[in-house]
Amino acid sequence: MTSAVKIQALNKVYPGDVTALKSADLEIGDNEFFTLLGPSGCGKTTLLRLIAGFEEPTAGVLSLFGDDISTLPPEKRPVNTVFQHYSLFPHMSVFENVAFGLRRLGRSDKDAKARVEAMLDLVHLTDFAGRKPSQLSGGQQQRVALARALAPEPKVLLLDEPLSALDLKLRQSMRAELKRLQKDTGITFVFVTHDQEEALAMSDRIAVMSAGEIQQVGDPSAIYEHPENRFVAEFIGDANFLNATVAETTPSGTTYALDAGGTLTGPDQGRAKGEAVTLFFRPEKATLSQVGEGPNQLRCTVKDILYLGNSTDYWLALDHVTTLIVRSKNQTDGTVIADIGEQISLSLDPAALRILAT
Amino acid sequence: MSSIAEKLRVYTGLMPAVFVIGVFMIVPIMIIFVYSFLVAGDFGGVKPKFSTDAYVQLLFQKNLFDVSEFNPAYLIIAFRSLWIAVVTVLGCLLLGFPVAYYIASQPEDRRNLFLLLITIPFWTNLLVRTYCWILVLRDTGLINGALINMGLIDEPLTLLYTEGAVALGLIYTYVPFMVLPIYAALERLDVRLIEASRDLYANRWVTLRHVVVPLAMPGMIAGSILVFIPALGAFIAPDLLGGGKNLMLGSLVQLQFSSARNWPFGAALSMVIMAVVLLCLYAYARNVRKNGGGVQH
Repeated sequence: MTSAVKIQALNKVYPGDVTALKSADLEIGDNEFFTLLGPSGCGKTTLLRLIAGFEEPTAGVLSLFGDDISTLPPEKRPVNTVFQHYSLFPHMSVFENVAFGLRRLGRSDKDAKARVEAMLDLVHLTDFAGRKPSQLSGGQQQRVALARALAPEPKVLLLDEPLSALDLKLRQSMRAELKRLQKDTGITFVFVTHDQEEALAMSDRIAVMSAGEIQQVGDPSAIYEHPENRFVAEFIGDANFLNATVAETTPSGTTYALDAGGTLTGPDQGRAKGEAVTLFFRPEKATLSQVGEGPNQLRCTVKDILYLGNSTDYWLALDHVTTLIVRSKNQTDGTVIADIGEQISLSLDPAALRILAT
Repeated sequence: MSSIAEKLRVYTGLMPAVFVIGVFMIVPIMIIFVYSFLVAGDFGGVKPKFSTDAYVQLLFQKNLFDVSEFNPAYLIIAFRSLWIAVVTVLGCLLLGFPVAYYIASQPEDRRNLFLLLITIPFWTNLLVRTYCWILVLRDTGLINGALINMGLIDEPLTLLYTEGAVALGLIYTYVPFMVLPIYAALERLDVRLIEASRDLYANRWVTLRHVVVPLAMPGMIAGSILVFIPALGAFIAPDLLGGGKNLMLGSLVQLQFSSARNWPFGAALSMVIMAVVLLCLYAYARNVRKNGGGVQH
């Protein structure tokens, strides 16, 4: 894998000793749709701005296709940005906005015109070339911003929460559109978002960030199915956590004694007997039944039922302090598995049980 | 019935504005207009007799044989005034833009301090401040003194009583009127647009030229109008710093109402200046309309 962007021990400390990025290491492959995911203030935007050149790193090396670009000003970097609020030039037409980068690169008028037309065609805005940005809807402005950033054929395209200002329907259609654009252009996309669903839907790989640190890097299913720590497990999707100790280890699997009572069996993960661990499983991995059968049964009381349309969330009390959530697909006939206050059996496939580093 | 009551209420509400504009603008202009078509009184004032002499006098002069002949003297003064006013506007733009840009790029609490500093000259009388320029510019003044002391020149340079001195005085007087509107435009400017420009391969200067200046244009035009109009009619700086030989329109008007005692001619001059200014504003307004109301935010 050729690395498009490579960062080594990259640090950013703002005046007043605010550390935005703590010694980050990351490699982003060529032609990859890479997402930086995390809550606000996690450092993802700082990392993007460092790649764009709007911020200078306090320490560390940032290279683009092997060239150290740490100290280059933004205009010398072959990367372009799609800004969160588009930042289209209000005094220029759509055409001039898209042509801006090309003109700065010294392309001839004829070249620039052809390229701008191709870009506007790509984002389906050919008829809007003469309009001013203020005469466009949010979605159209978004697409102009994309065309403007793609026009100079950057080696890496940076996208700073470009969908956050759009309404839900538009956002969903733009996801597919962006993914298509990335495949069509073959340009490396570095996409910043706080929306985990967006990240899972679009990315080849995701870096989950928190408090200025990269928590985990992996493809969407690895991030979802095998989170490395509690933060990642909690931030992506919903999660159930159980404190337990290792009760018995056999080659076929490990049995854990839950602090809340009961036992669960999972695959062997090399833990010693007596060790305290945090167990984790996704709400949709467990099933509910009136009478439990098979391994990994937990008797719970139904505390709450949340109807979500395609599924229903059951909030279950294991003991006084431990609440588990089980997401059950809704049946067409609208049958409810249990009512509030009833006792019910939760069963979990051992393969779905994970141990988290704490 | 109700619509009449409605109209009445609207007009009643407008009365204070109509009153102020009427008493302080329309009436004085009407008086000037009327006076410009009368005959000068012997000791100032006017005689109530219709005459277009004041306007004829702008371009023609009666010679010894009572024949009108073309006299470019006032036209020269008018063009000199226009020229100096334009130089003043350009000087204020060159000086005011960087100042406004600097202030706008400061943290918010410091911006207010700087804006306060910009207004400090207004705390002292203009006449006194312009006099101070004489102390700076005259042959034995600060600049010449310093240059001679440093041995750079032997003879003092002629700085005072030149057109340059007048322009300098006017730029000094009016530069705050340029800084404030440009600042207002720059302050609203989204810094992310500057980042977007840098991102698209424009360095600082190209960004300044293609993004910052166009977006500050409404402020620059407003500032230019605010400087051009008073500079065209100014008379304190031209009088004190220009000496007798560099007469400007403002001084000329002032002269007619004081020592020359030709009120109709002064009034006619005022009307002509006003007409020129109105034409400039009309051209600007038309230009703005054509460009779709300028920059939208």
